[in-house]
Amino acid sequence: MTGRRALVASFVVVAIAFSTVPAIAQTQATPAGRIKLASGQVFVVRGGTSTPAEIGQSVLQSDTLRTGPDGRLGVTLRDDTRVSLGPGSEVRLDSFLYTPSEGRLSLVLNFVRGIAVYVSGKIAKLAPDSIRLETPGAIVGVRGTTVAVQVVPR
Amino acid sequence: MNRWRRHAVLAGLAVAAFAWGCGPKSVSTDPDAQVLVVLLPDKETGTTGKVVVSNAAGQTELSTPYSSTRVRTRRVKPAARTLKQDDVNRLFGEVIATLPPAPLHFTLYFRFDSEELTDESRKLVQEVLQTVKAQPVPDVIVTGHTDTTGSETSNFELGLRRANAVRTLLIDAGLNASAIDASSHGELELLVPTTNDTFEPRNRRVEITVR
Repeated sequence: MTGRRALVASFVVVAIAFSTVPAIAQTQATPAGRIKLASGQVFVVRGGTSTPAEIGQSVLQSDTLRTGPDGRLGVTLRDDTRVSLGPGSEVRLDSFLYTPSEGRLSLVLNFVRGIAVYVSGKIAKLAPDSIRLETPGAIVGVRGTTVAVQVVPR
Repeated sequence: MNRWRRHAVLAGLAVAAFAWGCGPKSVSTDPDAQVLVVLLPDKETGTTGKVVVSNAAGQTELSTPYSSTRVRTRRVKPAARTLKQDDVNRLFGEVIATLPPAPLHFTLYFRFDSEELTDESRKLVQEVLQTVKAQPVPDVIVTGHTDTTGSETSNFELGLRRANAVRTLLIDAGLNASAIDASSHGELELLVPTTNDTFEPRNRRVEITVR
């Protein structure tokens, strides 16, 4: 009986941990960057809703960038970081903080699938340890650089 | 006992379904993807930076052009291998070409207590305008600065006049006003640190970011 309770309790803890992540991530709405290049089918997923993306559109923290089979997308963030996505790709901007005067700097990009290129910006110069490029199965730490990533889901 | 097991299985399935539904949120527990990370030379500088790729089994450092690592499982430490440039271009060439142009930074200098550009900086204006035109959707951030001669308040205003002078230059050249963010930091961000009431031409400037 106690074993079962503990089991259920641990599931509840896991479920809560999962469900609160997006809620926290959505509280900030200062634009992190803008879409500079786009062709084919491209989308921004915000708060669970996917909408077609346009050139000039703002990108916010916790947005997911997604491209269709013919889509390509290029984004420049406020700290000069650049990211581009090839066809059939998905990259999520998990965290973006750029307030150098207060020392608040953070960039977490999650490469979910497809192919993408990252070019570091000012956050990499000011606080390289606050940058994380996440992929399924590996984390990439950067020291001012250009990196290409391919994620092929099995 | 049977009921216990059934509940446990159902709960387990529910959590699995929930985690799966969260998609990318379950990445930390999901090794079911092949990942290739390739370090590229920076297009603008030609130099190559450094990355550290790590998983549960360990980490590897990449620091030479086209060095790469392929991660298939969390149980094996990533291993470095240099790829042929042609193979990298075949896979990533199109994505590299989709990168927006690199943001550029300029500094224009001004005459003493004036929003008039120095002769040298006047020559740089054309280059700033060309950079703006090279951007598909330009964002231009213009920040005015002063030296420490005069009061903090009057220097804030002078910095703003300088920023607005540059803003006018850009609008006259055809740039949409909404693409420009002009502001002043007055004497608070000195390029060359000085004591108060110090005449310093290098601090009388407008910094421009074009991205």
